[in-house]
Amino acid sequence: MRRPQQKHRWIAHMDLDAFFASCEQLEHPEYRGRPVAVGALPGHRGVVAAASYEARKFGIRSAMPVSEAYRRCPDAVFLRPDMEKYRRASRQVFQILETITPVVEAASIDEAYLDVSGLDKLLGTPGEIGREIKRRIFTGTGLTASVGIGPNRLIAKLGSEYRKPDGLTVITPEQVLDFLAPMPVANLRGLGPQTQKIFGRLGIRTVEQLRTAPLSRLEEHLGKKAAASFHRQAFGFASDEVVPERRRKSISKETTFAADVRDNDVLHDALRGLAADVARTARREGLSGSVVTLKIRFEGFETHTRQYRRDTPTHDERAIFKTAWQLFLGGKLPKKPVRLIGVGISGWEEDQPAVTQADLFDQPLEKEDNQRVLQTIDAVTEKFGKGMLQLGVPRKTDS
Amino acid sequence: MKLTIQRKILLKPLQQVVGVVERRQTLPILGNVLLNATARELKLTATDLEVELQAKVKLTVSEPGDITLPARKLLDICRTLPEGADIDISVKRERATVQSGKSRFILATMPASEFPVVDKIKSPHKFSAPQNELRQVIDRTAFSMAQQDVRYYLNGLMLEPDNGVLRAVATDGHRLAICESAMDVGETTGHQVIVPRKGIQELHRLLEDDTTAITVEIGTNHIRITTKELRFTSKLIDGRFPDYNRVIPKEANKRLVIDRETLRQALTRTSILSNEKYRGIRLSLSKNNLKIQAHNPEQEEAVDEIEVDYDSEPLDIGFNVTYLLDVLATIDSDSVEFLLRDANSSTLIHQPGIDDYRYVVMPMRL
Repeated sequence: MRRPQQKHRWIAHMDLDAFFASCEQLEHPEYRGRPVAVGALPGHRGVVAAASYEARKFGIRSAMPVSEAYRRCPDAVFLRPDMEKYRRASRQVFQILETITPVVEAASIDEAYLDVSGLDKLLGTPGEIGREIKRRIFTGTGLTASVGIGPNRLIAKLGSEYRKPDGLTVITPEQVLDFLAPMPVANLRGLGPQTQKIFGRLGIRTVEQLRTAPLSRLEEHLGKKAAASFHRQAFGFASDEVVPERRRKSISKETTFAADVRDNDVLHDALRGLAADVARTARREGLSGSVVTLKIRFEGFETHTRQYRRDTPTHDERAIFKTAWQLFLGGKLPKKPVRLIGVGISGWEEDQPAVTQADLFDQPLEKEDNQRVLQTIDAVTEKFGKGMLQLGVPRKTDS
Repeated sequence: MKLTIQRKILLKPLQQVVGVVERRQTLPILGNVLLNATARELKLTATDLEVELQAKVKLTVSEPGDITLPARKLLDICRTLPEGADIDISVKRERATVQSGKSRFILATMPASEFPVVDKIKSPHKFSAPQNELRQVIDRTAFSMAQQDVRYYLNGLMLEPDNGVLRAVATDGHRLAICESAMDVGETTGHQVIVPRKGIQELHRLLEDDTTAITVEIGTNHIRITTKELRFTSKLIDGRFPDYNRVIPKEANKRLVIDRETLRQALTRTSILSNEKYRGIRLSLSKNNLKIQAHNPEQEEAVDEIEVDYDSEPLDIGFNVTYLLDVLATIDSDSVEFLLRDANSSTLIHQPGIDDYRYVVMPMRL
């Protein structure tokens, strides 16, 4: 079965190799060539977040308990993650990607999709474009990346995973079916452990086997929607849309109450939840803002906003909440039933001057501990949904 | 109501109370001044709902009564009448007539009953003190108050009568000023109150530099200070002041003693080329030497060096120069002492050997 020859897009997927570990090796030449595991430290509970390729030779993988990693290679360099450092490096890489094409979509801190269609006159064949992406990243930052280029996002992503590290794989539309055929079904998108068990029971291990399985049988076991999705993927069909996220100016969340609220406790809790949402989004996007905005709407659509510029940018829900709540208490707002409340941050860190005035009462929490707490919250939220874990903020605080 | 008063007797108290009237009011009546005339006395009251000022004038009144008149207009009329003039004020129905010689003004009035006055303040703690001492306490601290900070409880001066001492603390989060003045503050419970910024500024304007006793009443929601002619009442900020003790550095291990005027002049010079917005300057301390450096976004640079008394490890530390200059302008002595620790820790500045008033300044990362 062949797709008819047609005009198609070229999508590139860029994945930085062992990103956290590579950042550390770049900064510390003495770690180069040595196994590096970033994450929890031996003797502590926790897992490895990223392992250098040298560490992977010892069987150290991300998400492996650090005790296990230590057993496999006690001589490895074990480091706590320094998210600030990685975000800085990531921003640099994305700036470089934008010199290739403006159509860049960040998939995570170390992954991006690029629409490189129509760049042949400018940069050459897809292979040449891929080499150029890797070259610019390496000369600009010293980091290596693996790049996959194909007619859609799925193929591009599988391409970047195909040869790692420092790999480049180009899959033309004609090669798609052959490229996919031997792959384990586990490589397809949206396939979790449960689905994999079902495929196992059905005796489907490779994409080729999936392709030949009757769709009705898949639907019976997986449901119509999932079956259709995997079936499409097996034939190499997937989205070829790359949505560049224009750099946002602010992150905000608001909520409208079913009935107007007079109780400050209710507002307090609502604002706390919103601050956590805003902070989580900010962390996911690697942003820290120093301007906190409180928005409040009273009955009759009377809307007020109050803003405050903090001395230091933050992505911590406690700081965002505290500032917003002080704006609420001290903002000389009318005492009326509240219809809507919202909070936002803006004024991103990189737009700020390097000069910072230290604050007497805002002694930063022990940085590493704080990052660890926030990372845990993000991980739990990712896995179990929001609201499962919240940072304690005292009720009715005024300090 | 009907009364006659000399211009010079009316002008001063009127000027004093009208100071609190805001140019734009939330309620029309707040633009008016309240006149209460009894047989022997005229009281003038103005308020912005936060700060209230009342002045008393001894006067024989022909027809007692109460009324409110447009405050600024009355003041302007009074000010522009010739010196030595007598002013007749009379009210008929809703109109007031202000007459002096051949000048006559008809003013709109509003009923006195609608004017918000704070009569008695709730559960006051009362003591009296010489007014120059209270004035000095404010002088030494008020410049460190925050201005429209989201931490609304910093937008004022904290006052704490505490066992024979009146303590005042002001901070904007970047620097802190603390002053303790020995006075008989009566039986105290360590009750802290925060007087809003505007109240402190008005109060400072009213206090004179002499030893006349004034009465201080601190209540649950208000503070009231009464002098011979004036009664000042301010609402208090409903909030908890941060624990100032926690931020007074106690682990300093470096000591710098320096001539106050020499340092002030060097800082003033250097600050010309500091960033206009952030006002950062760098102090580099080495044995008996202080190097002051500043530069701005235009890449201009200033360097100054002065001889100091310093015998600790070398230290590089950045500050907002305004905070240092504010402190140097307030300290009385010829020399000042800095107690430092490192580039990230706060610094204590005071008059050597004197702990009555002290300043804490947080550094700046340059």
